[in-house]
Amino acid sequence: MAELTAFHFRPGTSLLHTLDVRFKILSFVLISISSFKAYPSALSVLTLVIFYAILISCLPFKSILKELRYFFVLLVFIFIVRAMFTSASPVVDFKESAVAWQGIYDGALICWRLLIVVLFGLIFVSTTRPSDIRTAVEWFLMPFPFIPGKRVATMMSLIMRFVPLILDQARETIDAQRSRGVENRKNPVYRLIKLIIPLMIRTFKKADKLAVAMEARCYSEKRTNKALLSAKSDWITLFGVICLSILLSIIDT
Amino acid sequence: MNTNHSIQLRKTAYASLFAALTAAGAYLSIPIGPVPIVLQNLFIFLAGLLLGSRMGLASVGVYLLAGACGFPVFAGGTGGIGRLLGPTGGYLFGYLPAVYIIGLITEKTGRHAAFDVIAMCCGSVVIYACGLSWLKLLTGMTLAKTLIVGMYPFILGDALKIAAAIPIAKALRPIMRIKD
Amino acid sequence: MNIIEVTNLSHRFSDGTIGIEGITLSIQEGEFVVIAGRNGSGKTTFLRHLNGLLLPDTGAVRLGGVSVSRDIPRARQMVGMVFQDADSQIVGETVFDDVAFGPENLCLNECEVKRRVIKSLEVVDLIDIADQRPHLLSGGEKRRLAVAGILAMEPRILVFDEPFSDLDYPGVRQLLHQTLLLHKAGHTILIATHDLEKVIAHADRLLIISDGKVVMDNAPEMIIKDVEAFGVREPCASRLGMEIESWLN
Repeated sequence: MAELTAFHFRPGTSLLHTLDVRFKILSFVLISISSFKAYPSALSVLTLVIFYAILISCLPFKSILKELRYFFVLLVFIFIVRAMFTSASPVVDFKESAVAWQGIYDGALICWRLLIVVLFGLIFVSTTRPSDIRTAVEWFLMPFPFIPGKRVATMMSLIMRFVPLILDQARETIDAQRSRGVENRKNPVYRLIKLIIPLMIRTFKKADKLAVAMEARCYSEKRTNKALLSAKSDWITLFGVICLSILLSIIDT
Repeated sequence: MNTNHSIQLRKTAYASLFAALTAAGAYLSIPIGPVPIVLQNLFIFLAGLLLGSRMGLASVGVYLLAGACGFPVFAGGTGGIGRLLGPTGGYLFGYLPAVYIIGLITEKTGRHAAFDVIAMCCGSVVIYACGLSWLKLLTGMTLAKTLIVGMYPFILGDALKIAAAIPIAKALRPIMRIKD
Repeated sequence: MNIIEVTNLSHRFSDGTIGIEGITLSIQEGEFVVIAGRNGSGKTTFLRHLNGLLLPDTGAVRLGGVSVSRDIPRARQMVGMVFQDADSQIVGETVFDDVAFGPENLCLNECEVKRRVIKSLEVVDLIDIADQRPHLLSGGEKRRLAVAGILAMEPRILVFDEPFSDLDYPGVRQLLHQTLLLHKAGHTILIATHDLEKVIAHADRLLIISDGKVVMDNAPEMIIKDVEAFGVREPCASRLGMEIESWLN
């Protein structure tokens, strides 16, 4: 399960790989916000931008699409729900089909937006080292004195460490219980309890061990500060993205 | 191991672990009838019950922040600010006040099972309030339809999860206690 | 020169059970020591005193003349500890990040961190997969990654707790090979295990711990016939009256 997520860093040397991560995050947020209320004209522009980004980032896109197949299932589900539950436009007589047409349009629009946002996220994560993302988060949190940025950054890397451990553990527990016939028990509460308690006990022990191992490696919140350097190309990119966002909001009105 | 520093470190590890469980909960499901029960909000309940209000809040806050930064912690193995702003983003934001309220109630009432149930019901109400109002705002559906899409199919599952959370919390509290 | 000096070390857990009791010994720089004993005999408790993960109730541990409890960060930097469960020792999202974790905690500058990470990954032969995610590694690779994470802190003493558990035959050989290279390079090596078979051929010294006390302490060939009384199996070759051969041959 854990191996299937397409969202992970893929090393490379393209322009997108070398941009300053702070600028990438800002651009990513801006584009996400503008695609969030976009209509077909703006969405077409964004789709072109995505194709361009994929082209220059040299990512193995075929394999990524394959790994995203679960997401496509989610998209289809959202589409069906939307298509079925949108209010009919009152002008048309054929009630049944009117519901369908308006719904299909709405559903397609929402799926298109979601797809674009997810693809941008994918490109961002694929071209950015996780440790750089953490460094940037620390940097963005600096103005908030009451939030311990270093601890937040450490927690983020621990989360990404724990998720595959938990999923592997869950698979092992589920298999062990299935081989002892748990599927004959129909009571869902019973099965939930029997899955979660051993899973959590095991993962808590792992967390304990991890804390000790971190201590043995001198963990403290006073640690090497990573330098973030911005270049001209970063500012140009950010400027480009801002122009693009403004353009997109104009197209739609 | 008895220093403040290592207690702090262990708390950090536990809070991260719950955030990771919440993320993993989006992939874990138990098939019951036609709709599989996704375990994500069960871990939100447990974070409130076991970590308490402050650490629970930190755990969920970092979970959302990690998701906003693009780490794949949301359902379907995706991440990104787009998911937080998308139609289901309200539920995710709702986790934040929900975990705090659950933690607060269980702390104030001495971790009694009956109050834990109340705490989790309050938490669910908060999650739905956030989730449904955002869903309604974004999609412009009528309230009745929003409820049909965004709440009714999940209520049974939530009741089961609350029922399961009580014995789970009871079994785990002694293990989780941060030893001096 | 004695790099580790332990005097009258005792530790009691908070529930009252005795972890270790009255341990006195010294270890010379560059020694290769195997510490054996049955599960729960106190091996791990003893090792955790060497870098201040546990602090003594009575007695003291000195590293190069300085007490561990007086300067814990120094002890942790000097004693690199590889734990039994490699999976829960790995912190970073990539191999590179994980090895960098230790040096970053020492507040070294970025160039130095990078230099140390690359050097350590070269030693354990993982440099080609520096950008890989750790949970995709094999068991042997994970263990070597744990070793690299320790080496990047440039310790003088390397402590392994059950390093060969869960490893397949090639994994054992590779780890053993690298451990011996590190020993040759001048590191002091301590290995705790309940299974002497894989490692005893290379040890200078064998310590047997039982019920929290050191009950035997001598060159392996002197005491290997008597270890079974303390819950440690005598290696097969020794039982058959032959010389113990290295796993690398």
